[in-house]
Amino acid sequence: MKITRRELLISAGSLLAYSQLGSLANAEVNIAAQPGDQEMIASMCKALYPHDRFPMNIYMDIAAGAIKKGNADTGAKISFRAGLDGLKINSFDKMSFKKQTKYLNSIANTPFFGLVRGHTVVALYDHKEVHKIFGYQGASFDRGGYKDGEYNDLSWLPEPRIEEHPDLTAFLDDSSPKKYASLKTKKTF
Amino acid sequence: MKIDKKEKAVVVIGSGPGGAQVAYQLTKQGIPVVLLEAGRRIMKEEYVNEEWPAFSQMAWLDKRTMTGNSRIVKDFNGLPTWLVKAVGGTATHWAGATPRFLDYEWKTKSTYGSVDGATLMDWPIDGKEMKPYYVKAEDAIGSTHRGGRPALPANNNYKVFAEGAKRNGYKFYATGPYGTNAAPYDGRPASVQDGFNFQGDKSGAKWNPNVSEIPKALATGKLELRENSQAVQITTDSSGKADGVLYMDTKTKALHRQEAKVICVAGNSIETPRLFLMSASARHPNGLANSSDQVGRNYMRHLTGSVYATFDKPVNFFRGETMAGFLADEVKHNPKRGFVGGYYLETLALGPSFLGAFLDPGKWGKKFADMMDGYQNMAGMWIVGEDMPQANNRITLGSAKDAFGLPAPNVHFDDHPNDTAMRNHAYEKGEAIYKAVGATQTYRVTPYPHTHNLGSMRMSAKAKDGVVDKYGRCHDVKNLFVSDGSVMTTGAACNPTLTITALAIRQGEYLAEQLKKGNV
Repeated sequence: MKITRRELLISAGSLLAYSQLGSLANAEVNIAAQPGDQEMIASMCKALYPHDRFPMNIYMDIAAGAIKKGNADTGAKISFRAGLDGLKINSFDKMSFKKQTKYLNSIANTPFFGLVRGHTVVALYDHKEVHKIFGYQGASFDRGGYKDGEYNDLSWLPEPRIEEHPDLTAFLDDSSPKKYASLKTKKTF
Repeated sequence: MKIDKKEKAVVVIGSGPGGAQVAYQLTKQGIPVVLLEAGRRIMKEEYVNEEWPAFSQMAWLDKRTMTGNSRIVKDFNGLPTWLVKAVGGTATHWAGATPRFLDYEWKTKSTYGSVDGATLMDWPIDGKEMKPYYVKAEDAIGSTHRGGRPALPANNNYKVFAEGAKRNGYKFYATGPYGTNAAPYDGRPASVQDGFNFQGDKSGAKWNPNVSEIPKALATGKLELRENSQAVQITTDSSGKADGVLYMDTKTKALHRQEAKVICVAGNSIETPRLFLMSASARHPNGLANSSDQVGRNYMRHLTGSVYATFDKPVNFFRGETMAGFLADEVKHNPKRGFVGGYYLETLALGPSFLGAFLDPGKWGKKFADMMDGYQNMAGMWIVGEDMPQANNRITLGSAKDAFGLPAPNVHFDDHPNDTAMRNHAYEKGEAIYKAVGATQTYRVTPYPHTHNLGSMRMSAKAKDGVVDKYGRCHDVKNLFVSDGSVMTTGAACNPTLTITALAIRQGEYLAEQLKKGNV
């Protein structure tokens, strides 16, 4: 997939990061290609969004995607390399969670952090295994939608009224400009 | 129907709720129409029930820049709005709520008085005049709870919302009015509660022009729908009337020209003023139909926000209709609350993919992860209220260029203190609803990229105060109309699609009559 200039520009905001998932440029020098690099990035992904219920293979998937993005262009490579070196020098993966959080705070303004965090928040919560763990069932159209007894299976509260209250029409109709103009405005700003 | 580019045609730009409705009203009366749509026609079978792939399939992602004090500038820079570039427009991902304006919401200047920093103005039309068009619009959409149409059943998210509302003493909650069929209507089926209205709705139970007005207009034999055709300039003749539309084939980038006798623009509140500004000429140096300097100004997008809550028992709020839950008790203007205007609360569910991106943009760490971990036990609601029009909240042509070399629009938006006061009030009430039914945690969620985009081509009685007259006809250019939500003088509290539809039906009937009389 070709990465447009626009997509790169806004990749710091995670929203459009999806459009870059899976993109990989033909690179002569790849960063994060050493043994253990993916594990190191995965430990960062997990420290960013720690879920005890998620097996490590999910974070490894996310790290692989982040590394692809780190190789997307020269600028990304330079910053990603520096960021990864920082993790290695500080043995980030061996730190306590508390120290990891402190370290991440200290690098929170770097492009490396922005890339990994932006990618992780989008890719992690879009991961099919995560959906399963969360109990999210997603698409149901092919099986005819969520059934009666399924979309409404909550039983710890009483069945609510679905019709409008009989007084609603009168409530909404009582809205003459003249009447409401007579209310005094209390300015609080 | 094939219409020659040299033929002086009625040209409608944009096929969302406004443009498609006008095109249908005209073709229904035998008037041929060329409908230019920047996106393509995505058939309902193609819609994808996954959040990001669907977003990629239909979102308007052309370059935009942003300025202003709202948090979204930082969180989602480049994406001020969440609009759709496809036949059917943003109604493709519209959830479906269809409330009406209240009578005083047509006359906010007279009702609320002066609000510092706000450019409140009365619409040149009123509730009485619009009432029959609201009925027609509800019938066109098939709103539940209206016209004898049944209510949708309660889903899990609504059960939490309604019981919480009840325990707070609220009365005016229901599963609608909502533009998705509870029972088969108008050739479309009943909802199968599959929960993907934001992604287009594969079943066709949800109204949108792509499954209603577009096929109906095509069936008249009077419509030529040109997909992938993005209007880039409106040209004028020596008398100052609009005489053609330059549009670009977005696939080949070839530029075409359609001769026109009447043009209706319905590109939503960013693209419509952008097109008028890009149509500047010696005769219209500040942009087309802009002698008032009002083109692009008073851009509104509703006060929005969300409240989510987790409980100690499962909710599974993603199942069933996305927004079939409605609370009207807080909609009435009551200045004792510390702000003017009012708001609705409406149920809302997101999948984990979107929730991760929107729950607290930019946040990370244990607290955030714990919030996401409560997904299965989560309920959610959306706040939609009236925001204040402000002259400097506006669409301009920026210095940046889009992928076609055209000036990208800049969207400037500052929250008004009234917006902030109302949002905080709504957060508190929303949290109270969930706390009343045992919420273990509640979350106040900042606005998403905006889906309700209003104003920027404001309707006014006098030419100096706005861009269009009471029928959406430009004060300055008599054969040029605006047919979308950008005409809104003020935005009211309600979701805008029903009102856009009502205004478009009214404009279509008016325009058909004027064309038949030879007045255009």
